[in-house]
Amino acid sequence: MTTLRTTPRSAQDGAVRSSVVTALKQVLPVVSEQKRSVDASGSFPTKAVQALRDTGLMGLVVPTELGGMGGNLKDVSFVARALAGECMTTAVLWSMHCQQVLTVAVHGGDLLRERVLPAIARGEKYVGSITTERGSGGHLLHANAPLLRPENGDSGGYRLRRDAPVSSGALHADAFLITMRAGEEASPDQVRLVWAERADVEVVQRSVWDPMGMRGTESVGVQLDGTVDADAVIDGDFRAVALQTFIPAGHVAWASSWLGAAQGALRRAVDIFRDPKQRAQYEVTSDRFAVRLARIRLELDMTEAFLDRTLGDLEEFCGPNASRDVSEPAFQIELNNLKVVAAERTFAAVNELIELVGLRHGYLNSSPTRLEQVARDLRSASLMYADERLLLANGKLALLDRNSTLP
Amino acid sequence: MATINDEDFERILRPHLKYLDSGEPVNPEADLKSLGLDSMSAVDLLFDFEDEFGIMIPDEEMVDSTFATAGALREVVNRAEAIS
Repeated sequence: MTTLRTTPRSAQDGAVRSSVVTALKQVLPVVSEQKRSVDASGSFPTKAVQALRDTGLMGLVVPTELGGMGGNLKDVSFVARALAGECMTTAVLWSMHCQQVLTVAVHGGDLLRERVLPAIARGEKYVGSITTERGSGGHLLHANAPLLRPENGDSGGYRLRRDAPVSSGALHADAFLITMRAGEEASPDQVRLVWAERADVEVVQRSVWDPMGMRGTESVGVQLDGTVDADAVIDGDFRAVALQTFIPAGHVAWASSWLGAAQGALRRAVDIFRDPKQRAQYEVTSDRFAVRLARIRLELDMTEAFLDRTLGDLEEFCGPNASRDVSEPAFQIELNNLKVVAAERTFAAVNELIELVGLRHGYLNSSPTRLEQVARDLRSASLMYADERLLLANGKLALLDRNSTLP
Repeated sequence: MATINDEDFERILRPHLKYLDSGEPVNPEADLKSLGLDSMSAVDLLFDFEDEFGIMIPDEEMVDSTFATAGALREVVNRAEAIS
C-alpha cells in the first residue's frame, strides 16, 4: 500500500498544497507499481508520467491564469520528495520537467508562454532538457552549436542542429528546452535558451544508457535537427536566466529528489527495525546501534534543514517579490552548497544504512527496503553536474564574501 | 486488541523501574518517571511489550503521556493491534 507519509512541515505553505496532495494520492500508487520494472528494464516510467499528466502535476508551476496549478519551488520540492520516496527516477524526470516549465513561465515571451504553457498544464507536454554538449566541457553556461537563420531565409525562425551526449528522457519528450550559442558570430559564452517542439525537430539517438542507477531516466545521447519559430528563443542571455531560475530550480529539483529517496529508504529500514518479527536480528536497543542510526538520521535532517533554508531564501532572491541581488556571492555559495550537501550526505546516509542493516535487507535487490536500488540511484548524485566544479566555484566565491555566513 | 493480565504487564514493566522497591506493587497512578523510567528506557520497554505480546504500538502513541503512568501505559498497550 502506498500512503503519503512524507509531509515536510516547513514546506507546507502555499495555496496549492491541498490539490497537490490530492493529485499525489492518485499518482503514488502508480509510481510504486512501476518502480521495480523501471529499474530492472532500464525503461522510462511511462505509466507514472501518464499519471502525472492526468492529475495536472505536469503543470504544477504553470500560472493559474494559463490553466496550471500555480505552484512554486516549495511545491516542486514537496512533490519531488514524495515521488522519490517511491522512485527516484520518476522524481528526477518530473522535477527537471518542472525546471524547464518554470524557466519558460518566468522568462518566456508572451507568445511562447501562451502557446505552450496551457498545453503543459493539460498534461500534453513532457519537456526534456538539452544542456550537455560535446566539447563544452560540461559547462552549463557554454554552448557551441549556434542558432542559424534557415537557408531559405523566408521565415523569422531559426535552424538548430545540436548534439547532446546525455539527455534524460529525450526519446519521450514532447518538447525540449535547449541551450544554443546565440549565433554564428557569438562566443560560446553568449548562450540563448530555445524551445523546440518534438514535431519540429528530428531526434536521432546516438548512444545507449546502461548505467549503475537512475536506469529509467533513459539519459541517452541524441542529435537534434530542426527549425523553430522566432518566439521560441527566450530573450536575454542565458546566464541571467540560469542564475535567477534555471540553476535554483535544478538544484532544488535534484536535492529534493535525493533527500526524498534517502528518507524513503530510512523509513523502510525503520519499519524493519520496528517490526517485532524482524527486529530480533538487529541489536536495536544496543547503544552502538542507536548511535549509528542517529548519525544516519542526522545526515538526512541536516540536508532537509539546508534545503528548506534555501527554499526560504529563494523567495528573497528569485521570487516575484525578490528584494535582493541573485548574484550575491553568499547566495551563489548557498545554491551550490545545496547540491553538494544533498549529493554527498544522502548517499553517505544510505551507504551507512546498508552497513547497519546488513546483507539481506541492505544488499539484496529483493529486500522490501530497496536500499540496494536507492544506493545505486544516489551514487549518481555527485556526478550530475560534478560536485568538484561547484566546490571550485564556491572556493573562489568564499574569498569574495568576507561575511562568511549564509545570505 | 490485546488483553494483557496484570501479572504479565507488571512482569514486563517492573525491570524498567529501577527505583521501585521489589516488594512494592505498581499502582495505575504510579508516576513512571519518578520510578526510574526515562526516555531512553521507554523505547526498550516498548519493544519488550511488543515482543512479548506480538503487538505493534502505533507511532501516534509515542508521546510522553503514554509513559506517564502505569495506567496510561496499560491502556495504550491494551489498545494496540496484534500484528498478523
